[in-house]
Amino acid sequence: MAIQPGSESAAAVAGQEIHQDTTVKWFLLGAVGYFAVVGIIALIIAAKFVWPQFLGSIQYFTYGRMRPLHVNGMLFGWLLAADMGLAYYLVPRLCGVKLWSEKLGVATSILWNVIILSAIVSLLGGYQKGLEYADLPTPVAVLVVIAWVMFGFNIFATIATRKYEQMYVSTWYLMGTILWTAFVYLTGNFATLLPGVTGVNQANLNWMYTHNAVGLIFTPAGLAVAYYFIPRCANTPLYNHKLSMVGFWSLAFVYVWTGAHHMLHGPISQWLQTISIVFSVMLLIPVWAVVYNFIATMKGQWHQLGNNVSLKFLMSGTIFYLLTCFQGPMHSLRSVNAIVSKTDWIPGHAHMAVMGTFSFIAMAGVYWVIPRVFHTKLHSEAAANWSFWLFMIGGLGMFTSLWLGGFWQGWQWNNPSIPFIDTVIALKPVWMVRFFSGVLIFSGIVLFFYNIWSTALGSGKSQPAPAKAEGRVYAA
Amino acid sequence: MLHKTDSNAIWFVAAALGLFFIGGLLTTVAPPLIDKSWAKPFENHDPAKGPTGKLVDYTAQEKRGYDIYIREGCKYCHTQQTRTLASDVKRSGWKGVDSPVSTPDEFVYDYRQTFGTKRTGPDLSRVGGKYSGQWHKAHFNNPRDLVPGSIMPPFPWIANNPDELAALVAYLQTRGRAKEWRPDNDYEK
Repeated sequence: MAIQPGSESAAAVAGQEIHQDTTVKWFLLGAVGYFAVVGIIALIIAAKFVWPQFLGSIQYFTYGRMRPLHVNGMLFGWLLAADMGLAYYLVPRLCGVKLWSEKLGVATSILWNVIILSAIVSLLGGYQKGLEYADLPTPVAVLVVIAWVMFGFNIFATIATRKYEQMYVSTWYLMGTILWTAFVYLTGNFATLLPGVTGVNQANLNWMYTHNAVGLIFTPAGLAVAYYFIPRCANTPLYNHKLSMVGFWSLAFVYVWTGAHHMLHGPISQWLQTISIVFSVMLLIPVWAVVYNFIATMKGQWHQLGNNVSLKFLMSGTIFYLLTCFQGPMHSLRSVNAIVSKTDWIPGHAHMAVMGTFSFIAMAGVYWVIPRVFHTKLHSEAAANWSFWLFMIGGLGMFTSLWLGGFWQGWQWNNPSIPFIDTVIALKPVWMVRFFSGVLIFSGIVLFFYNIWSTALGSGKSQPAPAKAEGRVYAA
Repeated sequence: MLHKTDSNAIWFVAAALGLFFIGGLLTTVAPPLIDKSWAKPFENHDPAKGPTGKLVDYTAQEKRGYDIYIREGCKYCHTQQTRTLASDVKRSGWKGVDSPVSTPDEFVYDYRQTFGTKRTGPDLSRVGGKYSGQWHKAHFNNPRDLVPGSIMPPFPWIANNPDELAALVAYLQTRGRAKEWRPDNDYEK
């Protein structure tokens, strides 16, 4: 029997004293703060589709500068920082030892804040590299690399000193994230700038990075979190260890081949397009292995969803993962791609992956971890439940309006007798629905932010319960 | 073998990187070595082989315009690729003449790829020579004056800056002009 996040619950009781969790607090509180700040940017750019004059004539707030800030802010300021914070929480627990260095961890967090603040200033100022997802100017990208090495070193050093020999699935996924991210990030941010790398060659490297930023950074980091918290929150063992190995190793092999599917029908070699299609379809293997494992783990435990906000987020995230990773391979088929590629369907798909799946999973982790590291109770269970439903309803409104709208848009484009501007005007009601869905999502973010920060700030005011007793409560 | 990775971190790292690098190298390093058209500028003087013409490098002014295109994030709403789809060829076309499809050798001097992923506005891969400098000035100042229903943001700080406007327009006029597929300076109204 493989080790389980549940099986260290005895260690968790005793372990309450060994874990300082300072780094966890720094990373998670920062991530939640940036989620709220960048949420405002998201809402503004959604509004610009409906009211194009809105903040339109101030160059710093124009769409072309705010969109990269939205993307990079959400990816690095919120999601990656949240996943890193959760990694600092779960790796020491899965290894049965303290984090290798809290000082290094806090220094990493400070550097991360410097990175995000410089990103905001430089992107609004128009200093962007001009490569999608790799928009951050080179000096900032260098800081990201340094921060990643600091993070990776801390986590690997913790794993090297582990008490339990066998490593749980989450540990593999996090090690994979650290290793792959390093090379994927270097490819997208530095290999693209090598002398002589231009045009299609640069685009191919750019898509390798963009695609794997999701596939080999946010996917393994998010799955590490889900593999830990689904059994932990439901207090039940993981369904099957072997199946998790199938999922992990097929992900390691298959994902990296698919970058060129971002340029299907475009000016890139046909054979490379075909390879990317074949491997995109093979992605169904790691996805279905993981989803089956999660769903089977919940067998007989579904009743717990009713009063457990973290589980609600985790299992909805799982379903969105299944859907988004069914869409992906389907888009890569040439016939489907000819309709949906470059349309509004694509942001619908991307948001289901990064928000619906991986942000849901990260939020589940944050809701679980924050009260525990501050040795207190969540400020408001009711507000947490409201945040879930706001995210769910807003998310579904956004995804479905963009899919239907994008599909319709694609059909219109395929009829060249319709002038392009008519296909823009036709989409306006869709963008209106997307904006109001965004208002719901943003309200969910605000509630999440308020709840997490109130929990953290309020923890000092109530008399601090003895750590041991708290530990027993949560291990039960 | 993979069972060893369960409890041995060194094995794990080797396997995770090994599997990753097979696909990683074959899809990033190998393609430009195999397909030479990625790095060889377009040049054809034989009409039997398709459109004729020659790709030339950007002038200093065009480069300045290119940098403005990057700075303003134009590529987030405009793609620059006429794909092999019939509708793309028609839409990039001009007065009933179909446009040639985009090929890798037309982008060799593009130091920042601008293929794009989202087409909120029309594709720009063949926009060069379609609209006059006057048209672009008015359009950048307020797109809705010329195209009712457009959702493009206004760019008054470019329209009212003669240097930047001239540079950006010069860049746009190069788009898709390496292939000779229609007359010069025959603007759409």
